[in-house]
Amino acid sequence: MTIPEHLRYAENHEWAELRDDGTVRVGITDYAQDQLGDVVYVELPEVGRVVEAGEAFAEVESTKSVAEVYAPVAGTVVEVNEALDERPELVNADPYGEGWFAVIEPTEGADLSHLMDAEAYAAAIA
Amino acid sequence: MPVSPLHELHERLGARFTEFGGWTMPLRYAGVVAEHLAVREAVGVFDVSHLGRFVVAGAGSRELLRHQLCNDVAKLAPGRAQYSMALNDAGGVVDDVIVWWIAEDEFWVLPNGTNFGKILDRFTAAAPTGVAVVPRRDETVLLAVQGPEAPKVVEGVVGTAPGRFRVVETTFEGRRCIVAGTGYTGEAGAELAVPREVGAALFSRFVDAGAAPCGLGARDTLRLEMGYPLWGQDLDETTTPLAAGLEWVVAWDHDFVGRRALEAERTAGPPRRLVGFRIEGRRIPRPGHELRGGSSRGRVTSGNFSPVLERGIGMGYLAPPFDGSEVEVRIRDRWVSAEVVTPPFIDR
Repeated sequence: MTIPEHLRYAENHEWAELRDDGTVRVGITDYAQDQLGDVVYVELPEVGRVVEAGEAFAEVESTKSVAEVYAPVAGTVVEVNEALDERPELVNADPYGEGWFAVIEPTEGADLSHLMDAEAYAAAIA
Repeated sequence: MPVSPLHELHERLGARFTEFGGWTMPLRYAGVVAEHLAVREAVGVFDVSHLGRFVVAGAGSRELLRHQLCNDVAKLAPGRAQYSMALNDAGGVVDDVIVWWIAEDEFWVLPNGTNFGKILDRFTAAAPTGVAVVPRRDETVLLAVQGPEAPKVVEGVVGTAPGRFRVVETTFEGRRCIVAGTGYTGEAGAELAVPREVGAALFSRFVDAGAAPCGLGARDTLRLEMGYPLWGQDLDETTTPLAAGLEWVVAWDHDFVGRRALEAERTAGPPRRLVGFRIEGRRIPRPGHELRGGSSRGRVTSGNFSPVLERGIGMGYLAPPFDGSEVEVRIRDRWVSAEVVTPPFIDR
């Protein structure tokens, strides 16, 4: 199970990546995709949507079930991964790379300190 | 919770497990979609040892089956298999079963795992003197090998590959092996019963011969693409075969438990009917979702992603019976359009 050191993690198995421009890229973890099984559909938020931290803002359908994805930070959705419309399986194949979900521009500066680091997340799913 | 005699083998093959009918069974190995496509395009092997199975033997066996089940084994001969149902007095489906007619006075009946005790008790209570009803689940392993390449693989491993709904006996490692041309995927192939001691060896031989190990996840998406009902979802004791669109399973030329109620429903028409549908777009219908068509209302009983169509497909009951060409499914907060499809959902 891969848990990259440079990311932060939320309890519901989202990862957040603070980027140089202050925006935050979001996806679901390797553990989450593994639990879900084959991802067959991803409903992404609309660009421009304003989300609260902890708000459900995307959905993932797998052959097993449907899961909600929660925004790890408050802000405005500025970009979504449209490749997932045609290739939802990217979430399984590359959860931290090509399988990303959305980019959020945080409302109150880019602070991810409320999220877990890799070590804490590894302990949480152990 | 019971596990399959092959549990350790499944662990070595990397299976994820699920609870089904009170048993812990493989859910998936490589992934549901990969396994599904392996069965559609090549061959896969399933451990279905959780399914019930019992022998009905002795003079009078045939008449016992004829009365307890709504399809009629009298249409068959030894060496043939049949899909059938046990109904209650109201015509509701107590279980759907497969019957293997092995020899003149020996039948195997295969109920759903969940319903094994119920059906075994029913047959035991109804059996006349001279007819033995003997459970076989503890002593045997049941495997299904399915897919266009399955006949070749089955023949290579056990030396014979019966045609569709044929049953033959052979041996595997010197032990009795019953091979039936039955399954739950819509593909060619066989289901095989062997003593539990040789079950893991048989499963491994199929894997070595190229069959992809497949779990219950793929078994469910495969049967759904064919529109095969699953008891507990699409069928239950309040649902008749007529409502489920399965009148072909009812042989009207003989007497059976539930016949009177079924005759009345055939005259009046079922109060609701099962419809199949294909979602427009990529959303996935799930059991329990609301369903509507015209003035008819109901619920989805089976729904999932079709790996072949790459669309959500499903089935559900609508009351009053509905004959339109479009329905809507409420997938969480939104009504989504779906085209009515008479199963199978794929060409087979």
